[in-house]
Amino acid sequence: MIEITCNDRLGKKVRVKCNPEDTVGDLKKLIAAQTGTKWEKIVLKKWYTTFKDHIQLQDYEIHDGMNIELYYQ
Amino acid sequence: MGSSSKSRYKEKESSSRPKRRHSPTPATEDASREKRHKHRHRHHKDKKRERTRQTVEDEDLVEIISSDESPQETKMESSSQGAGSLSIEETNKLRAKLGMKPLDVGTSEASTSASKNSGKKKDDLGEFYHKPAENWAEKAEREKLRTKLAEHKEKRQLHNRLSKVKTLGDSDSEEDVGNWVDKNRKIEKAKLEAQKRANMLEELDAQFGIGDVIEQDRKEKRSQQYTAKDLKGLRVDHDIDTFAEEKQVILTLKDSGVLDEKDDVLVNVNMIDNEKYKKNIENKKKKILYNAYEDQEYDELGNPKEKSLLSKYDEEIDGAKRDGFQIGVDKFVQQKQKAVVQSVKEKLAKKRLESIADKNLVLASEYYNEEEMAKFNKPKRKTRRIRSKGKLTANDLLPIQKIEQSGSKKNKLELNTNEPDLNIDDVPDIEVLTNFKLEDDKDDMLEKALHKARRIKQRDNVIADILKNEVKEENQDENGDGGNIILNSTAEFCRTLGDIPTYGKAGNRDEDEDLVDFEKEDMNDEKSDDDDCRIIEPSGWNSVDPVHGGVDLTKIVPQEVQILDEEPDVSTGVGAALKLAMSKGYLDKEQNNRPSNSRFAHLQAQHYSIEDKSYGEEGNERAGRGRERYSGPIQDFREKDGFKPNVKLEYIDDDGHILNSKEAFRYLSHKFHGKGPGKNKVEKRIKKGVQEQLMKKMSSTDTPLGTLNMLQAKQKETQSPFVVLSGNKQQQQISKSRR
Repeated sequence: MIEITCNDRLGKKVRVKCNPEDTVGDLKKLIAAQTGTKWEKIVLKKWYTTFKDHIQLQDYEIHDGMNIELYYQ
Repeated sequence: MGSSSKSRYKEKESSSRPKRRHSPTPATEDASREKRHKHRHRHHKDKKRERTRQTVEDEDLVEIISSDESPQETKMESSSQGAGSLSIEETNKLRAKLGMKPLDVGTSEASTSASKNSGKKKDDLGEFYHKPAENWAEKAEREKLRTKLAEHKEKRQLHNRLSKVKTLGDSDSEEDVGNWVDKNRKIEKAKLEAQKRANMLEELDAQFGIGDVIEQDRKEKRSQQYTAKDLKGLRVDHDIDTFAEEKQVILTLKDSGVLDEKDDVLVNVNMIDNEKYKKNIENKKKKILYNAYEDQEYDELGNPKEKSLLSKYDEEIDGAKRDGFQIGVDKFVQQKQKAVVQSVKEKLAKKRLESIADKNLVLASEYYNEEEMAKFNKPKRKTRRIRSKGKLTANDLLPIQKIEQSGSKKNKLELNTNEPDLNIDDVPDIEVLTNFKLEDDKDDMLEKALHKARRIKQRDNVIADILKNEVKEENQDENGDGGNIILNSTAEFCRTLGDIPTYGKAGNRDEDEDLVDFEKEDMNDEKSDDDDCRIIEPSGWNSVDPVHGGVDLTKIVPQEVQILDEEPDVSTGVGAALKLAMSKGYLDKEQNNRPSNSRFAHLQAQHYSIEDKSYGEEGNERAGRGRERYSGPIQDFREKDGFKPNVKLEYIDDDGHILNSKEAFRYLSHKFHGKGPGKNKVEKRIKKGVQEQLMKKMSSTDTPLGTLNMLQAKQKETQSPFVVLSGNKQQQQISKSRR
């Protein structure tokens, strides 16, 4: 289990617990549940890399305590 | 899901206590601060966790577990924090709703603990198990213990061994004085017995006569011994002087091949080494072998050495010269002495005694004086053939002249008539005639030669005299007949061929030229009898003998070639006149209307190909899309090779007028810019156009008002060649009266 911090720098900052085997899509759903936005509208980024929905977190080398940028589309 | 999460929760509950114990903050501090601190601590531990988990096995399990569990604890507590984090249960519920599997908190924990127990460690990817690291401290301890044990063992063994050794103080009961005496007595007895037995055996030998035999053997052996006698005649390979007197030198047999038939040679190894050493030193000195001035070399005794070619290699080729001697032979010594004496004698003999007085010094000169010239070997004179013109001096030919003078003149005439036939005939025909012809030729030639000779004798007696002496000898050498002239058919043939311009000039002249000379003389005679003092006349051979009648040059008619074309006769018709006008350039040929402009072909570029069109742009961006952009034909149109259309650019106005280039430019420019000329300009233009039209319509014979017509009508009316412009009657009358 890992815990990831997602921050859109507009006032929403969420910490989400998830498994490394979860996909980015799953993470988005979890975030959506916590923030109250639709998960389809969420874009997760690290610098200029936009994470794709079907790829697991461990494949993106997302570890415990990492910060991910949260955007909306 | 429920059961597993519950169990995990229980675990957490149970582990919460040790965590508290572990936390460094005292209970008195406020909760928020404690939490923050724990949080920071957790990260530190997380990093540390993996490193420490396996390596330190001695640490109590409780503490490690607590460190592992702490993050979950903090998370649980931090769920109420502002960051907006759910607890594990909440997330699990959420995940269940979303259809995802629960968070694997417990299982990972179990697996880690299991791996901990088994002493194995998975790496980050979980693929490999690492071998646990060994405890160095323990290892060192073990080693220490082992060495200590070994030391003790050694000590014990030493002690055991030494305990058996008797010390000096201990009494030695076995060696008494009595024993020692007994031992000695026994030894003496044994010796005596042995002597007795030997004596008995000797007596037995004497009885059977064996002693004599042994004595003889001994004598023979002594006589067979190798003594100085045997050494006599053996050759020693060293110079006798090298042996110092009264000093022992050990000589050994020199190594030689098994199959060698040579006698044995004695050498001393040390002396051989010495010699080698000397030679090496000699080589190292690098004596200059090149003797530039060929100085005499002297050996040690001062005798001049005999010189041989490349003497420096003699040693390599023949082998080093070694002087040795034979043992017991005095001859060698004597020989050596003799040789020394001989060398001294030679030296004395070779000495030249030169007195300074009797040699008078002479100045060196670059030139030989007469005596020296006499000595100097003259090079053989090359026998140069003198031109056989001189052959025919008067003296040589006189005897023949008498004999053959009479009949020759008749022959000459006949010969002349015959000669053209000879020229024309083929070779085989000539051969039939050769014998006879040659006879005739000979006569003829002789006749001429004699004639000439006589003349020369009369005119130039001086020349003849000079020539006579020199040429006489040569003639005798060359002509075995002595004064006769040998004529051959080849010469005759060449003579009739005529003078080839290069003949004889390139140095390829031969005896035949002499004949040519005679001919020249001959012809000169025929032309002008009084002008016979000329011997050689360069242009003589050029004149054609009319009788021989070679090629008649007069028959060659030069072909008349006009430089200009024949001028057409104008009087024949109009066509001819036109032709003339055309040729003189009065008229142009109508070429402009030809369908092709092939007459401009010479203006076209010779090596132009279609690829050149795209040269400029392709040079810039050939690498990129330049290739793709140009997709025109790459090959020429071969089938349209002859097609060269006559292109005529014409611009036509809206009104149908043909525009010249200036107007066309203006027109196109207006069109391009979409802005026409101003109103005034248009009017001006239209006016100009109208005037032009009028100009064209105007008759060329009359003024616009028709004055000429009126004039003519008036003249007809008045029947006068003039018209009176003033309306005065008087004047009209005057004009009539004049007429």
